[in-house]
Amino acid sequence: MSNAAEVSLETAENAGRRSHLVRRMLKNPTGLFAIISIVVILLVAIFAPLLTSQDPDYADIRNILASPGGDHLLGTDSAGRDVWARLVFATRYSLMGAALATVLSAIIGVTSGLVAGYYGRWFESLAAWLTSLIMALPGIVVLLATRAVIGPTLWGAMTVFGILLAPAFYRLTHAAVVGVRGELYVDAARVAGVKDASIIGRHILAVVRAPVIIQAATVTIIAIAIQAGLGFIGMSDPNIPTWGGMLNDAFSRMYQQPVLLIWPSAMIALASVAFALFASSLRDELERSGGAKKLKGKAKAAAAAAVDTSGEPPVVHAELEESDAPVLLEVSDLVVGYDQPDGSLTQVVNGVSLAVRKGEVHGLIGESGSGKTQTAFSILGLLPEGGRVAAGSIVFEGDELSEKSPKAMRRIQGKKISYIPQEPMSNLDPSFTIGSQLVEPIRETLGLSAKDAKDRALDLLAKVGLPDPEKTFRSYPHEVSGGQAQRVLIAGAISCEPDLVIADEPTTALDVTVQAEILDLLRGLQKELDVAVLMVTHNFGVVADLCDRVSVMQNGRIVETGPARSIFAGPRHPYTKSLFDAILEDGAARGPLAHAADRNTNAGGAK
Amino acid sequence: MVRFTLRRLGAGVVLLFAISTIAYLLLYLSGGDIARTILGQSASQETVDLKAEELGLNEPLIPRYLGWLKGAVTGDFGRSWFSSQPVTELISSRLAVTLSLVIGTIIITAIVAVAIGVWAARKRGAADRVIQVLSILGFAIPSFLIAIALVNVFALNLGWFKPTGYVQIGTSVTGWLGSVTLPIIALSIGAVAAVAQQVRGSVIDALRQDWVRTLRSRGVRENKVVYKHVLRNAGGPALAVLALQFVGLLGGAVIVEQIFAIPGLGPISILATSQGDLPVVMGLVVAIGLIVVLVNLVIDLLQGFLNPKVRLS
Amino acid sequence: MFSKKRALVATTAAFAVAALAGCSGGSSSDPTTSGDGGTGSGDAVRGELLTLGVISQVTSFAAANSNWANESPMMQAVYDSLLKMEPDGTIVANLATDWSWSEDRLTLTLDLRDDVTFSDGQALTADVAAQNVLRFRDGTSPNASNLGRVADATAVDEDTVAITLSEPDPALETYLTQNAGLQESPAAFDTADVDTIPVGSGAYVLNTGETVAGTSYVFDANADYWNPEDQHYDKIVMNVYSDTTAMLNAVQGGQVNIAGVADNTQLEQMYAAGYSDVSNELDWTGLILGDRGGVLNPALGDAKVRQAIAYAFDRDAILQAFVAGNGTVTGQIFPTYSPSFDAALDERYPYDPEMSKQLLQEAGYASGLEISMPKTSGLPEAWFTLIQQQLADVGITVVYDDLPITDFIGDMVAGKYPATYMILQQDPTDWQLASFQIAAASTFNFNHYEDPTVEGLIGDLQVGDEAAGAELNQYLVEQAWFVPFYRVLNVKVVDANTTAEAQVGNTWPYLWTIKPVA
Repeated sequence: MSNAAEVSLETAENAGRRSHLVRRMLKNPTGLFAIISIVVILLVAIFAPLLTSQDPDYADIRNILASPGGDHLLGTDSAGRDVWARLVFATRYSLMGAALATVLSAIIGVTSGLVAGYYGRWFESLAAWLTSLIMALPGIVVLLATRAVIGPTLWGAMTVFGILLAPAFYRLTHAAVVGVRGELYVDAARVAGVKDASIIGRHILAVVRAPVIIQAATVTIIAIAIQAGLGFIGMSDPNIPTWGGMLNDAFSRMYQQPVLLIWPSAMIALASVAFALFASSLRDELERSGGAKKLKGKAKAAAAAAVDTSGEPPVVHAELEESDAPVLLEVSDLVVGYDQPDGSLTQVVNGVSLAVRKGEVHGLIGESGSGKTQTAFSILGLLPEGGRVAAGSIVFEGDELSEKSPKAMRRIQGKKISYIPQEPMSNLDPSFTIGSQLVEPIRETLGLSAKDAKDRALDLLAKVGLPDPEKTFRSYPHEVSGGQAQRVLIAGAISCEPDLVIADEPTTALDVTVQAEILDLLRGLQKELDVAVLMVTHNFGVVADLCDRVSVMQNGRIVETGPARSIFAGPRHPYTKSLFDAILEDGAARGPLAHAADRNTNAGGAK
Repeated sequence: MVRFTLRRLGAGVVLLFAISTIAYLLLYLSGGDIARTILGQSASQETVDLKAEELGLNEPLIPRYLGWLKGAVTGDFGRSWFSSQPVTELISSRLAVTLSLVIGTIIITAIVAVAIGVWAARKRGAADRVIQVLSILGFAIPSFLIAIALVNVFALNLGWFKPTGYVQIGTSVTGWLGSVTLPIIALSIGAVAAVAQQVRGSVIDALRQDWVRTLRSRGVRENKVVYKHVLRNAGGPALAVLALQFVGLLGGAVIVEQIFAIPGLGPISILATSQGDLPVVMGLVVAIGLIVVLVNLVIDLLQGFLNPKVRLS
Repeated sequence: MFSKKRALVATTAAFAVAALAGCSGGSSSDPTTSGDGGTGSGDAVRGELLTLGVISQVTSFAAANSNWANESPMMQAVYDSLLKMEPDGTIVANLATDWSWSEDRLTLTLDLRDDVTFSDGQALTADVAAQNVLRFRDGTSPNASNLGRVADATAVDEDTVAITLSEPDPALETYLTQNAGLQESPAAFDTADVDTIPVGSGAYVLNTGETVAGTSYVFDANADYWNPEDQHYDKIVMNVYSDTTAMLNAVQGGQVNIAGVADNTQLEQMYAAGYSDVSNELDWTGLILGDRGGVLNPALGDAKVRQAIAYAFDRDAILQAFVAGNGTVTGQIFPTYSPSFDAALDERYPYDPEMSKQLLQEAGYASGLEISMPKTSGLPEAWFTLIQQQLADVGITVVYDDLPITDFIGDMVAGKYPATYMILQQDPTDWQLASFQIAAASTFNFNHYEDPTVEGLIGDLQVGDEAAGAELNQYLVEQAWFVPFYRVLNVKVVDANTTAEAQVGNTWPYLWTIKPVA
């Protein structure tokens, strides 16, 4: 059961997007099967009296253990009672029992989880303590006491287990609530004077609704399984037909009439499988809805531009002076796309060509969704899941990269081409020290000893301007600031002496003051190491600061390319012009388009 | 860390006290005619009364409980009402057997569940379906049915294993392996299903993290990325589930031990609870409570190891 | 967590059935007033290892607190009794070589062997024997009351012990062949481990190193045993199978030489695995109509109502439905080996619902009648349902009280119910039977109804008038104090390498009758 207790928070986050979920589940064959099965079982439970003319409790001593057929569709049990009649009534009672346990545990667990998660304080500690208490309390002792005090009723047993299972809902709700407690919209509502009850009802409950439904399906399965277990050990309710009771009776006659085992087992299995499939297809749909939505937005924009792959040729500015530096990287007619479930390809890069010479800084500029980051990832060989180079070539030092296996690419990554990400904090593994994350690639790529690698890492940390390399080396990522983390990532990128660094908006996520420092650092290092850089950015300031050459991207295509000075002096393409105009109007370093969304693109590509 | 551990142990003691008090009260309530149950139907009422007197069954709840508590604090849990065995001896000798089953199951579960979970997370598609089918089967089929099926196939029909019994590891390692293989398989199936699903989810979440790409971009080998970095980050939730499984397996082992006639806590748990053997049940409550407290503590410490952000100082 | 809940919720029906059904303890048959020395001759074959599959753990290894019946194999392994009973019930010498009654039948004098030592080296003396008898009387064995009439036990000389009674007890010698006669070393009397470490003079010694109490008891042959003819194995292991499926698996896997069968529906599987049965009929099962005085339910005070109930049951169908025919239908509580058994009485109340209804009408209950009875999840729920249905068919409504297994017998013998379903032992002597379930003071006359006719006949039995038994049996059947359904078949299965002899009045064959096949 525990896996369901841990329904991931991501699912919780996606809970809001439930619209049409039911419709989607009905389209999914698994979901359809689950829903049909549950409906059938429910109908059997509701209309039990109409499904049989036999009295489920009438015991015919002269007709015990009858085989199926005749008056008794499924035969009779060890007391000569009609098995079919008992089965349909057992369905009714067992489901009611399971529902009792589920509803009770959901009410207790969700309520306490909401209160503990939202208000915290002593209630949270108390609830946590009670949870461990319930976990450590042997259910059998509680159950026996219940039986002794109120008798062996199914309702008593299910009430006990309802309480014992409440922590499953508690944990789920508590975690989800703690997750959104600090969210802006909740704060905003609170500041706006919305009452707590209303916040809980409107915002927080919405977040936990779907995971709670999934959990409820799981708890229902557990309750059914417990009933079966109780039946196995002879502790089912003797006064009403239940699946557990039928199982117990069948076990006692296992060697005389084994067929009796089949009916209650089949019902238990059917119900469990139906609820399990229901839960898992609901979870699938929720996960999919999260991913699919992101994809849709991007895919549409890209697809609209991809009408004509060849497109308009880019505006090419003449070279100001002939460079004798060899071409390091040459991308030709690159098409990047994501495979869709229906077999089509959604293109995000539509025939990009560019070249980076040794020691040159090449700026790749464009707004979010223009395909610049996707271009960078395809050069690195690190397109997100589902993405691939659909056409064109990426030649690096005369080597075709686009056809290399991930394993072969690994020999180029780090050593030849390295990467500086946009968001410093999320690009360091939180579980390892900064030092170990630096040392690992150095040892692997350069084959240095542990000590040499450490020395090198410390040197690098000093080189990127960190005041106390030793301390940073020992620190975990959460212990350093964003600017420091970015310096660490830069150190990582140059650690194995690459020939080309692909920097993906290396300053965007940083404070303005820090941005300048990092740019200074990059400029210095580039000069010192004479390394080529492909600078992906939407910031002309950065381009002006660093780049020798610029390519402007829009809708997955390069619209204008040439030496930085030429383009700054005379942008010719309307899109480039509009970018310049925007800077002049705002006077801001940032591009005109919402850039927050751009941050997501590197992770989001497709799922 | 030491302070944290001590504080948690202190909380654990309070928890144990609460659990034992509640359990004692519940057992008292469910009491029944214990002396008669011990002696059976052929005993005369005089003998039954004598037995009740001897066990102190006529005393009121509070002094009885205080008497038990006093003994428990000094490690004396009394003797079984039904077999006269000292409870401490009875439980400690059997706990090792049960723990060996449970720990064996946890190890197998961890290995298999991680392998399957990571595999499913990396391949998705068909592998995912396999996991789902597995976990549904794990849910739908109770371990006792799996156990009965395993005995019939592998012990009775194929004769690969002995259908019942337990061999001490000290007596014969292969004998021990033979006697625990089927029980561990029976216990593992459900646990693997649950843990693998959790591993899959956490690994998928972790694989989506930005730092995975960055690590790859540095030329770190894929296996190292997955098994060192991703797994460690995915380990927290998986470990929590594994801890729950550990506690659950202590219970799951009860019925499986019963079916395989293994001298763990199972047979005496069943017997003691159904008979109302208060000293034994209380001993079990304390022992299992203690294990739960310790397991939770170990898990918390491990979580700290896995996730430096929650590391406790 | 889910599996924890499921599994910790653990109590088995098997235990409960065992507790209820396996309780036939005391028994004997034709007590002889004297016996000669010498035991039956054993053959020379000796086996290495005997493995028993038993269904219950040892309650106590202390002789004074010992159980019999299901625990008799464990007790017989480590202890000798003063007298010994042959499988057919004949009482022969054992530790006592000769014994005789006084004229007033109030003093039994036994001559003891002088060559017997306990496993700790202590010698068996008359004084030790006297102490053991008194300790049993005052202990908490379920059978302590067997010696309830013992006034004193004293050593007459070094090897002669005299047991004096407060009133005659025709079953005393039988008791001395059972746990009441077990002899324990005096050095063990006051030790802390008296309940867990036995010190006896028996053919085997408990191997405490290999024993896992409650699961597996291991016994090694006692090298100095005084009676090697009764020692057939070098080692005996008694494994406890509290789950019937586990027991069946052990039998099918050939892991036991002899096993107790708690679930007779498994017999076909056991025969198929090459085992054969050693069986007897120990218990009768049916209704005890305890409220013959009509205190709790006036209707039951009327013999016509009780007879109506007796007519309401289709015993053949019940035998099939309850235990798949593993037993014999009966209408009386006296066993076939009692001289008072009368086959004709089995036909007194044929299944006749019309007659039943008519009797109810005559008694003034034409419009129906309600009886409250206890029920427990320790026994198959179907049994209670069928009983309820059979009575409902003649217009009697049974209202069940669901009791935990731990309360079922206690509440029953406390007289809380006017009637109950029960499985009870069929003591082989009429006197024992009467003392246990008929006399006003007996445990299972739980409303303690006193009938002068009955008490008079029991008084005659006590002083040795065996004819009174037949009359008593006749009277009880006519008055319908009990509504027996059938006698229960008690089965042990043995493998091809082992033989055993069913013991009159005991669930287990006595240990020395279990031998390797030559």
